[in-house]
Amino acid sequence: MTQNQIDIFRESIPAYVLGAMDVEDARELESHLQTCASCRTELADYRAVSESLLMVSPAKTPPAALRRRLQGHLPSAQKKALPRFAWSFNQLALGIALVVLLALNISSFLQIRSLQKQQTELTKQLQSGQTVLAMLAYPNTESLPITADNISGTLLVDKSRNTAIILVWNLPQLDSTQTYQAWLIDPEGNRTDAGIFRPQADQPYTSASIYSMDDLTNFTGIGVTVEPAAGSDQPTGERVFKVDF
Amino acid sequence: MDDTQLAAQVAQGDERAFLTLYDRYASHVYALTMRILRDPNLAEEATQDTFLKLWSRARLYLSERGSLPVWLLTIARRTALDRLRLEARRPTLSTGEDPEELWQTIPDENTTPEESRWHSMQFAVQSLSAEHRMVLELAYYQGLSQTEIAETLNWPLGTVKTRLRAAMEQLRREWGEK
Repeated sequence: MTQNQIDIFRESIPAYVLGAMDVEDARELESHLQTCASCRTELADYRAVSESLLMVSPAKTPPAALRRRLQGHLPSAQKKALPRFAWSFNQLALGIALVVLLALNISSFLQIRSLQKQQTELTKQLQSGQTVLAMLAYPNTESLPITADNISGTLLVDKSRNTAIILVWNLPQLDSTQTYQAWLIDPEGNRTDAGIFRPQADQPYTSASIYSMDDLTNFTGIGVTVEPAAGSDQPTGERVFKVDF
Repeated sequence: MDDTQLAAQVAQGDERAFLTLYDRYASHVYALTMRILRDPNLAEEATQDTFLKLWSRARLYLSERGSLPVWLLTIARRTALDRLRLEARRPTLSTGEDPEELWQTIPDENTTPEESRWHSMQFAVQSLSAEHRMVLELAYYQGLSQTEIAETLNWPLGTVKTRLRAAMEQLRREWGEK
């Protein structure tokens, strides 16, 4: 390498220590510095100058809040904050656990209610079925046909036991605001409430048991009307069918 | 306790040593980051980042490679220049001739010999011609390469190189005389 080439490298050292050289030129100089002791000495001198430039600016006191913020990043401040965080975390976890438990309880309660309702319905059906079988087997039971628009069925009446069973097919479903209501009809045409019932959603036929407190012989027939969901004192809705004893 | 001992304690997680170094050098770090970023909020953030790096990297400091303030201020300069690039701000030129600032550079009786040399460097910079001071400012405090300085000032690249070299040669002469 000629002295002229070395001089060119040496002249670039001030820019190098200031970080102002383009990258490729800096690489070439670094490569040269590995083999050139005089340039390394020059580099050390200029580096001392550039380092002193770091301290040239007159000191300025930063805002006091900066020191406090830095302290907040130190482990002791983090540890102080940790228990409160842990406590909050535990509370949060406890809260979530309570909500989950509450939700499970509500879910379980609703499931139990649903199962109880299904059980009651099944029990009623079973009782109704057993009553039907018992009445069919009983020699004094009268079997009367039920006929109406698109509806057919049988009314089983046992006057000695003041019991009757309505068995109908294709009884239309009602919305939740309505119900079917049975009426016992006396010779003067007066109606006595004999109970409300709704069609089984999953069965093609509907059965309803009627147990009268009065002697069934005092009545001449049974009628069924559509009434509000809670039932009525007297028939108010459309008649579905009527069977005379 | 000297800087090297304090740095060693910081490396061991000594918070008191860390705060001692903060109290000792925060005003220099903040001054440098202010000079580079020219915005008090950004300078504050850069100062905070610099000291957090001191806290996490104190074990990397080697006293045989240089003094702690130089190491710390080198970190501060890089941190501030990174932030400057992130903000993509164009450089603004400082005259560096604020009389108030100059007054603060006059050594008092408590000034250490090293600080006294830094103060003399401040005067050396002040004595540079306006052109020389400008290229030095753009190179060192704004992080521009010689090519970028030439584009910014619309000067030939050769002129930038010559003036930068001349400025540094003058500083070196005056620095060496102290």
